Amino acid sequence: MTYSNSLSINRSKYYSNNQNTVSFKTQTRTMGPISNTVVLIVLACLVGLLYLTQVTKTNSFGYQINALQQQQSQLVSQQNNLQVASAQLQSVNTVQNSQVAKSLVPITPSTTLQN
Amino acid sequence: MNSNASKINTIWALIVILIGIFIIRLFYVQVIQYGYYKNLALSYQLKQYEIPANRGIIEAYDNGNVVPIVLNQTFYTLYIDPTLVKNASKTASDIVSVLGGNFSNYMSLIKTKNTRYVILNHKITQTQNKKILAFHLPGLGTQSQDYRVYPDGSLASQLLGFVDNSGKGVYGIEQYLNSTLSGTPGRVKAVTDANGVPLAANSGNIDIVPKPGNNVVLTINVGIQTQLEQILKNDYTTTKSQGINALVMDPNNGQVVAMANYPTYDPNNYQNVTNPSVFDNGTVSDAIEPGSIMKTLTTPAALDMGVIQPNTTFYDPAHWIVNGFNITDIEQDGGPRVQSISSILSLSLNTGATWMLMQMGGGQIDKTGIDAWHNYMANRFRLGQLTGIEQGYESPGYIPPPNMNDPSIDLRYANTSFGQGLLLTPIQIASALSSVLNGGTYYKPTLVSEQITPSGKTIVNQPKILEKNVVSAKIGPELVPLLENVVKAYLQGGFSFMNFSNKYIVGGKTGTAQVAQPSGGYYSNIFNGTYIGFVGGDKIQYVIVVFNIKPNVAGYAGSYAGQPIFADIAHMLINDGYVSPKS
Repeated sequence: MTYSNSLSINRSKYYSNNQNTVSFKTQTRTMGPISNTVVLIVLACLVGLLYLTQVTKTNSFGYQINALQQQQSQLVSQQNNLQVASAQLQSVNTVQNSQVAKSLVPITPSTTLQN
Repeated sequence: MNSNASKINTIWALIVILIGIFIIRLFYVQVIQYGYYKNLALSYQLKQYEIPANRGIIEAYDNGNVVPIVLNQTFYTLYIDPTLVKNASKTASDIVSVLGGNFSNYMSLIKTKNTRYVILNHKITQTQNKKILAFHLPGLGTQSQDYRVYPDGSLASQLLGFVDNSGKGVYGIEQYLNSTLSGTPGRVKAVTDANGVPLAANSGNIDIVPKPGNNVVLTINVGIQTQLEQILKNDYTTTKSQGINALVMDPNNGQVVAMANYPTYDPNNYQNVTNPSVFDNGTVSDAIEPGSIMKTLTTPAALDMGVIQPNTTFYDPAHWIVNGFNITDIEQDGGPRVQSISSILSLSLNTGATWMLMQMGGGQIDKTGIDAWHNYMANRFRLGQLTGIEQGYESPGYIPPPNMNDPSIDLRYANTSFGQGLLLTPIQIASALSSVLNGGTYYKPTLVSEQITPSGKTIVNQPKILEKNVVSAKIGPELVPLLENVVKAYLQGGFSFMNFSNKYIVGGKTGTAQVAQPSGGYYSNIFNGTYIGFVGGDKIQYVIVVFNIKPNVAGYAGSYAGQPIFADIAHMLINDGYVSPKS
């Protein structure tokens, strides 16, 4: 069924509902094949536009995902670096060479477990 | 008129032909050659990357807490495309301002010709990376790369191993658990834009997330490990040896709490090592003739067979002739006389160990005794085979087969009974003696306490029993006082450093092993000094093994180069509260 056919059916129904009308001049308006084609092309273009919009929108999420992944990667690197720094600061070598350790005064124990 | 119509028709025909050619060409390109051009397009648009998985970290115990001893850190490689550089001098000076270094060196690298990729520096830090990128210098770029970091430097370096430039673990735990630690790399296969960013709308994209490796918690006690390494370093100097291997093991579960070798190296800078032998964990990979510490295994074997008792005495002729060779004791042992099992150990009587081998047979060295001794050593104490400890390289050692067709088999086995003519690693003899001391269970020696998966699940490495009833449960308690007597005998002999509080059980045995010459026979003046001992309170808590390789000391290597190291370790364990005293 074409768009023009559907219009005429609707109008016929309207006519039957108004039988008490004194006079009614039937006027059938239909769209020709060119109009139909143009409408279909416009609709197809709209669908295409909608598709392109959605694809572009989806791809823009890809950029966001990529940016977030890079951010995550940087944060993981930062966390790793901080863990290393923490471990290095607590390592025996660092503690042994620290100013606090160097300022400790050696004393001779009065008793040891060995005796 | 006709002429014009003809021209129009001709032009029309040409246009139709041209359109036809276009249509045919398009049909050829888009339909017939569809696959070829699709693949060609994808080769430009489709990119595939492997995403490396984070390598699991390695942790150990320190004062009851778990602390990291191996971590990962991101560094950056600085590179330049010389063809894009506009101002070489400014580029070089900006780099020097952040990284330091020689300006002219950078200039020469930046001006390198006929290349578009020149590496300017490795392992620059994240902070340096940010500063350099902030200059926005044309042609300059950085590439991140994860490196393994050992924050404690050389601590436990040989048992840890390291990760080489290809990301593969080599030596130690890093090698043995490489697949567990490295995880599974991820993969991204996607149509990308010109900058390589994946386009999310492509339905054919593949995005496999990398699976990080497991974290591994070692049985190592950082405090004991640190002090063990310090002791080895000091004694390496005082005994002027070629190297020292030592370990401390819990005999009740096979867990190694400290394991060290000296000389050592820093795995952060493994590429600077000139002698690769320092990469070896000698406590598991260097098998040597152990010397008289072997008597600590011959004795429980004979006790378990019931052919001797702890208080048995026998007449020692002070020498045996075996296969035409004379087996003797040292002069200080006093010549022929009645000796006891205790004196076999305290005086380190080779003739006594040979006598025990004889008792395991029919009163002389024979097939029955040789088979029995071999059965204990090879099958029960699992000598001559890999222990399975989690290390990259392990030596199986060597126990001579009981080949009765060998004309020297009697001599060979007489020698093995007191520690010559066989090869053992420290981990093998520590595991074997532990099985006697703990009541007869041979635990697989281990360095791994637990693994933690990326999801946080903890997989506890339960002690694994490899052999039950190695010897009967009463043998350990019989052997302990015999080895305590050895320590007391040395103390009475003037070795004051062997003085231990009576709140603790301390026992052990020295070994002075002759070193084989490559051409056959033994050196007359080169020895290895070995020691195996234990320390505990109500029960034995630690077994300690020391192999001091070719020390240069006056006196017997076992007594003067192995024993002092054992004493230092035992005193450290007691004084630092690692041993619970008798209740």
